[in-house]
Order: sequence, then C-alpha cells, then structure tokens
Amino acid sequence: MEKVYNFKWDHLGDLSVGRPNLGKETSVMVYRLMQYTFKDVFSKEIGKQKTIELFVKAGALAGKEFCRNVLDISLPFDEFIAELKEKLVAFKIGILRIEEADKKKLQFVLTVSEDLDCSGLPIFGESVCNYDEGFIAGILKEYTGKKFTAKEIDCWATGDRTCRFEVKAIEG
Amino acid sequence: MNSRQILEDLNTCFEEAMQRGLGQKGLIFPIDLDNVDDDELKHICVRLAAIFDMLNESYHYSEKLAKGDLKAKPSRTNIFAMPLKGLQASLTHLTWQANQVAEGDLSQQVHFLGRFSDSFNHMIKSLREKEVIEQRLKLISNVIGEGIFLVTSEGKIIFLNPEASRLLGYFPDEIENKFIHEIIHTQRLDGSFYQPGDNPIFNAITHGDKYNNTDGCFTCKSGLLMPVMIACRPVFKEDILDGAVIAFRDITEQKNYLKSLETINSLLEKQASTDTLTGIYNRMKFDEKLMIEIKRAHRYNSPLSFVMFDIDNFKKVNDTYGHLAGDNVLKRLAGLVAANIRDTDIFARWGGEEFVIQLPGLSLARAIIFAEKLRHKIEKYNFKEPEKITVSFGVTVFQARDNNITLTNRADAALYRAKENGRNQVRSSNE
Repeated sequence: MEKVYNFKWDHLGDLSVGRPNLGKETSVMVYRLMQYTFKDVFSKEIGKQKTIELFVKAGALAGKEFCRNVLDISLPFDEFIAELKEKLVAFKIGILRIEEADKKKLQFVLTVSEDLDCSGLPIFGESVCNYDEGFIAGILKEYTGKKFTAKEIDCWATGDRTCRFEVKAIEG
Repeated sequence: MNSRQILEDLNTCFEEAMQRGLGQKGLIFPIDLDNVDDDELKHICVRLAAIFDMLNESYHYSEKLAKGDLKAKPSRTNIFAMPLKGLQASLTHLTWQANQVAEGDLSQQVHFLGRFSDSFNHMIKSLREKEVIEQRLKLISNVIGEGIFLVTSEGKIIFLNPEASRLLGYFPDEIENKFIHEIIHTQRLDGSFYQPGDNPIFNAITHGDKYNNTDGCFTCKSGLLMPVMIACRPVFKEDILDGAVIAFRDITEQKNYLKSLETINSLLEKQASTDTLTGIYNRMKFDEKLMIEIKRAHRYNSPLSFVMFDIDNFKKVNDTYGHLAGDNVLKRLAGLVAANIRDTDIFARWGGEEFVIQLPGLSLARAIIFAEKLRHKIEKYNFKEPEKITVSFGVTVFQARDNNITLTNRADAALYRAKENGRNQVRSSNE
C-alpha cells in the first residue's frame, strides 16, 4: 500500500455486483454516524479547528469528483445549476435553492434544505456543515475553473430550518 | 406571590390576548419577578418570560413575512420561528426563481412545496411550449423571403421582420409606432398620393377586411417607390378586431422581366411582320391585314382598293449596278411610297421588286388617280444608282364575292397588262 491514499471515483466500487441484495442506498443515520464519529475522533487527535479544515478539504475533493463524474460541465450556468439541483435531490443529498446570484462577481447565497449532514440535529449553537462547505466550493471550482469559498451562515444546528451558504469566488 | 396568584395573573393575560389579539405590544408577561420569593417558582417564571418573548418575536416575524419582508430575521434560538424560517427560505428562493424566469431561464423547477410546486412547474412547462412556438415563428419570420408587418387596428406598426426592414431600408426603431398609411403606403405606382379615405390598406386594416394587391407600391426610406405584391389579413382577438398582418414582396424584378418580355415580344412581332430589307410590312403581315380590311369592307360595304406595282426592268438594274445598288433602289422606293400614302393605307413588299398597297375607303377611280400620282413621283425621283426607274401599276377594287386571292389575282392581272402595254403606266381591272 502506498504511503498516501489517492481517491479515485472507481474506488466507490460496483455496487450492483457488490450489494446485489441490499442495493446501493443506505440510511442517513449510518452516514451521520460515520461523519460525526470521525469528527469526534479527529478533533480529539488533531484539534477541532484542524478537523474542520480537513472536513472542508475532503468536501472539496468530493465536490470536484462529483462534478466530474455526475454533472455536465458543458452546460450554461443556469442549466448547470438546474442539473445540480436535480442530482442533489436524486442522490438525496439535499434540496438546493438559490436566494441571490451575482453571475458577474460569482457571488451567491444558496440554501440546502433537508441537508444530509445536519437537518434534524439538536441546536449546537454553531454551524456543522463543514463538509458541505467544501462540497459546494469544489463543485463550483470544477465548473468555473476559479477558486471558491463557501461559508455556512445559517444551519439547522444554529436554530434555522435550512442551511444557508455565502459562496464567493476568490480573486486571483 | 404564590403559585395560585401567578396562575391567576397568567390566566387574565391569556384571556385578554384571546379576546383582543396580541396587537402591537404583544403578550406582556404579567408577573413582576421581584415579587416572587420562591426560587423554584422564580426559575419557572424566568422560562415563561422567555417563552413570552419568543412568542412575541415570532408573531412580529410572521407579520413581516406576511408583508413580504424576506430580510426579517428572528433570533436563532426562537423555537416558535423555526418553521417560518423554512417558509422564508422557500419564499426567498422563489423570488430569485421568478426573476430568473423573467430573464428567460426556463430551467427553473420547484420541488417539495406541494400544490405550489405543481402549479409553478406547470407554468414553466407552458412557457417552454410557448417559447418553442415563438422560436419557430421567429425563425419563419426571419428566413421567409417576404416582408411582414404587424399593425394595430389603427394602422400603427408594432412589428416588422428583418426582410421588411431590409427591403424598405428602415431600422425597426425608425418605423415602429408609426402609421403604415402615413409612412409606407402613401402613394400609387404612378406617384399620386392617396387622399383621406381612399388608402386601400388603411381601409382594410380599420374595417377588418382582407386585402390583396398584385400591383401595389410601398415607399422606401430613400423615398423611392417599390412595386410590391401585398396581402393584408385582419387579426381578431376574442372576436374583436386587434390589428392586421401585412405580407409583401418586392416585384421590381418581376416587373422588369415582364417589361423586357414585352419588348422582346414586340421585337419578335415586328421581325415576323416586317420585310428586313425595306422595313415595311412583309407579305404575311399584309395578308393578315387584308383579311381584316376585307371583313370591314364586307360589314360596312365600304370601298377597298388594291394596288400592285413592280419596278420595270429591275433585273437590268441588278445586272448593271450590282445587287447592292438593286437593294438600295428597293429601299429608296419603299421610303418614297411610304412617305406618300395615308396612315390608314397598308403598304408591303410582295416579293422581289413587287409591292402592294391596300387603300381602305378609296374607290377604284380615286385609287387609279393615287397610283398615277405615285407613278409620276417615282418617275421624277432620283434613285442615284441608277438615277431613274419606272414602275408599272395594277389597280383593282374589292367586290362583294371577293376573297384575298381573287382580289390579288385581279390586281396582278391589271399589272400584267401594264407591263404588256409598255410599262411605266397604271392599268385597272375595269379596263
């Protein structure tokens, strides 16, 4: 085994062969169980801030690969967003909605309802969708070729009913 | 205060709120915490006061949302406002979606908002279908080789396609909102202007009539008149006249083609009826005219004289001076005779050096006088090479049982006698 692991899309495996009876879907509970136990262990090992940074980074890699393998980046912006919304619903990741969009400056305010990471969580008083932040920024970077930041400003865990992200292209 | 008093005060507060509503002030927590001595009761009252604050805040928040204020923001910990935050997010997104649709983005869809999703998505589907129809119509309008105007029922131009713009030389913004009868269709092809009430397109538009004109005329921006074929059709909206569609085609080339065709036909007709050497009628045309004159003479019982003449010793001219000189003699003789007959007379080359003249309305006696005068003029005329020639004449007049052959034969016989008697003389069929 190599010293570092490099993710590739085909590492997700052939689920129709691998899970002929159980199928390709699992429960949100299992997904969250893995994510929040990771968070628990990582934060104790490397600290909370570093853990959050790694979750954002992993989310960005996931967003990049999702965009490459699932989305059609040749579509014009409006149609690309429409397809992204459809795919996020189809994969039961969340319901993406745009509240504000400045296509020239590449600045957006968007929401994800029924979010896979946080919807239904108790109020922690801080946003928890760090993986989502990276995921959104990763998708937009892959589509536009420019770096993005995505900051979650409202979250179920802060008492909201939808996750709200401020997304901006980074100059330079 | 004990717990009973607290409950009684709360009860009074709720009773009033349920009767009068919350109003601007909202629910006012009725307990003065300083008057609650029991610590446990005090804690309960503190939580109750917080609940009152949350209720008041979510009430004002919902009021703002009801007024369309999508920037309203309650505190994060307000548990009563949470479902409204979901609604607020949906409304904010719908506002953005509505703007997207207004800018032509028909990829928008609404999910998970119950009947509203169905209605919105149905609206998008209808707009997409409409867009497809509009794109097809626009494509047809753009590529069709005809100019198209859409006008109101008063004749005001509200649309023109690129071909109309190209043909007339106007940009759309130069002509839109102007009246078609005041700027485009103002004149007839002869240049005269339409008077109020007699402009056919204006009348058709305002009366909701169909109008076709295969020989119409539009005025271009340059001021030039363009011959056009026009079709005007009324447009009705719920049985009420709403304007008209006017299609037109430039027929300048068609008209030029017809004109050149007329010229060619006229030339061909002339060639078919003219003797190429002398320029006067040939025998075929003469026969055609003779049939007409014979019919006329029959119908009106009017005289029709017939003269046949022949150059004396013409072979000698050709032999002595050459065929070119002979041709010149024939041309000069034809010119001389043509200059000395009436417009109504019909003069033709019969063949070789032989000529014929129909003299409608002239009796035999007057035809003989005419022939004699002509003979004399020819005798005196200088033909240059040779200077002098003479001509023999045979004259006859139409008789009731005549046809073109009998009439010609009689004139030919008289001419023969003139030759036999020594040439340079006039002989008639009566002799």
